[in-house]
Amino acid sequence: MFLGTIVGVLPGLGPPATIALLLPLTFKMDPTTAMIMMAGIYYGAKYGGSTTSILLNVPGESSSVVTCLDGYQLARQGRAGAALGIAAIASFVAGTFGVLGLMFLAPPVAKFALRFGPPEYFGLMVLGLAMVAFLTGKSVVKGILTTLVGLWLAGVGTDVFTAQSRFTFGQMELLDGIDFIVVSIGLFAIGEVLVNLESKVGGEIFKVPKGLLNLLPSLQDLKDSRFAFVNGSVVGFFIGVLPGAGSTIASFLSYGLEKAVSRRADRFGTGVIEGVAAPEGANNSETGGSLVPLLTLGIPGSSTTAILLGALLLWGFRPGPLLIQENPNLFWGLVASMYVGNLMLLILNLPLVPLFAQILRVPYFVLYPIIFGISIVGVYSVSQSLFDVWMLVIFGLLGYAMRKLDFPAAPLVLGMVLGERLELALRQSLMMSQGELSILVASPLSAGMLLLAGILLLIPMLNRVRSWRVKAIEQEL
Amino acid sequence: MTRKLTQWISLLTWLLTLPLMASAFEPTKTVEGVVHTAPGGGSDILARAIAEMLQKEKLITQRLQVVNKSGGGSAVAMSYLAEKKGDNHVIGFFTGVWVTNPLTTKEATVTIKDLTPIVRLVLEPAVVAVKADSPYKSMKDFVEAAKKNPGQLRQSGGSVTGRDNLVRLVIEKATGAKWVFVSFPGGGERIANLLGGHVQMMVMEPQEAGEHIKAGNLRVIAALTEKRLPFFPDVPTLKEQGIDVPVIPQARGVLAPPGVGNDVVQYWDGVFGRFAKTSAWKKYQNDNQFEDGYLTGNGLNKFFDDLTVQMRDVLKEAGVKVMR
Repeated sequence: MFLGTIVGVLPGLGPPATIALLLPLTFKMDPTTAMIMMAGIYYGAKYGGSTTSILLNVPGESSSVVTCLDGYQLARQGRAGAALGIAAIASFVAGTFGVLGLMFLAPPVAKFALRFGPPEYFGLMVLGLAMVAFLTGKSVVKGILTTLVGLWLAGVGTDVFTAQSRFTFGQMELLDGIDFIVVSIGLFAIGEVLVNLESKVGGEIFKVPKGLLNLLPSLQDLKDSRFAFVNGSVVGFFIGVLPGAGSTIASFLSYGLEKAVSRRADRFGTGVIEGVAAPEGANNSETGGSLVPLLTLGIPGSSTTAILLGALLLWGFRPGPLLIQENPNLFWGLVASMYVGNLMLLILNLPLVPLFAQILRVPYFVLYPIIFGISIVGVYSVSQSLFDVWMLVIFGLLGYAMRKLDFPAAPLVLGMVLGERLELALRQSLMMSQGELSILVASPLSAGMLLLAGILLLIPMLNRVRSWRVKAIEQEL
Repeated sequence: MTRKLTQWISLLTWLLTLPLMASAFEPTKTVEGVVHTAPGGGSDILARAIAEMLQKEKLITQRLQVVNKSGGGSAVAMSYLAEKKGDNHVIGFFTGVWVTNPLTTKEATVTIKDLTPIVRLVLEPAVVAVKADSPYKSMKDFVEAAKKNPGQLRQSGGSVTGRDNLVRLVIEKATGAKWVFVSFPGGGERIANLLGGHVQMMVMEPQEAGEHIKAGNLRVIAALTEKRLPFFPDVPTLKEQGIDVPVIPQARGVLAPPGVGNDVVQYWDGVFGRFAKTSAWKKYQNDNQFEDGYLTGNGLNKFFDDLTVQMRDVLKEAGVKVMR
């Protein structure tokens, strides 16, 4: 558990890698104990990822990239403790929901998830893009431009449908595409440091309030986040159940939903507490969700559960639709360990929050080299390739340039995350229908999601028209 | 005279022991075992299991450390091995992708012939599965239906260069039927789409299919092997169903970098020869429903040559751009 948190704090090394590396340790253990340990590490790693996102703007893994948007802004306002605290609480609440969901809803939810074919995934991705449309920044045009760059970056690499390489410029390292975490760390962390270096503000750039109480979330924060807890829990769990989505998409979608229904949507990205609570919650609720297809159907719902599947095989289980019936001990051991793991997470991490928040007292001439160091180590550890470090430099400079020219970075990252899935789902659908576009609206599920996306896109426009009218009327008066 | 004779004898014995001395290669430090998948991928899991068994059975004295060089299909791992030319402390775990990937990927310049073959350990059988409530009771039914409605039936699978798609291509060519192959990058999605009824058929490993059959979700309609599988004695092979196509093997095994000495090859040959006979390995093969694919030396060389020719033909036929 603790190990998991530490690994999670280190950027780059995400939950799948952690679990795979620790797998050999478990061969000598009793399978149930081993499974429990794995689940603990899974949780720990997921929570740990948020720490560096909030404090240093360095996303620890791809699912905590969204946490940077509001988390780091909160830290700059001296509210790092509140953000870290709410992340722990949201993780706990939503993680518990995920486990309850796994216990009580597993079979029906798994059945429902099977209704998601390519057209439904397409609808879901469009809905996601619509929810987070106009994500940050003042200029809509700049937002759309950067989203398109993100969509293009998602296309780099080997095309799964034709086995042809696209935009690789003969570079073998680009065959698998550009790693999302490399882009995020470059744009967010390195870009941020470069901009701050230029401004030459001496001394501390972060305010760290004195007194323990000010380092934890306030009652108002909890009140502001109450919907985010529910949203994160439900969205995270359900996206987790879908075999083709995963925690990164879950965190983005719950952030999008939070923003879409929020009364202060315009302030997202400037440091609102629910902008941290929703994705962090979704991230942990996804854990329970992704175990649903694994345990009920023997289908891994994410890369981490794919490794758990391999582990089950090695321990002599036969993962499949009959796993729970044949090995009830394993299932209930897992559920119980997830409860305990969740609670431990809260107990272990809440007291650590003030401690972590103290990091920001470190003067910038010490902190910045540390951020550079963590970023480089993190990026290198993704696939032990120096090429990725050069990519980090390139995207760091891009991040700097974008900041200077007032282009928002978030839409680019979003375009990259959803773009890959969007393209896959669209092309799979069209292959299935032999080019008939009607397949995209043939099922009520996908049609409904596309309709919702359309409505979401219209709302801001209507608002704008209304505000013009109001202005016009005011002028007439 | 006697002195000269003793001299001759000592020279002769020295000459005789030469090959013995030379074959006495032993790793002196940790050996790297290169795999082309990320932690948790099929190759990675197998390599870690083999490393664990080799150590447990005391077949190697040094540690075998699995190193993940994922990327570009298998291109990153293969070029890493090529760079380790002459390094006696590196081995690689190959699969069929190591043959097909250089054929279709311009950037993948290292081919399997550039590396030093050691042993083929596993042949993975495959079966054709449909949903349990599907109207297709045999592969023949499926092919007939696909002929009647060209392009209406769908199969889920991985990359277009994967075995599942190549199986479709050879059957289509032999029977004139046409159906659609939809690629899904994740293994879980492929089964989910089959179970959800979004596609009608899938090629999968017997171990995977077995559990779903027990639960009453799936039905197996053909074995993609030369002989019927012991786990599915009632399921006929394609040939038995009158569909005469070559079996496309999915092989897994071990090779070394280019330019390693004969002594090193012989060392690994000995290690894996003993390994293949251990009961731990036999049990692992049985648990995973692998076919024993033990093959070394010239046989393995010929296997790689034949496979390369076969794959090139099938891919060309399918309209995939073949690079070399």
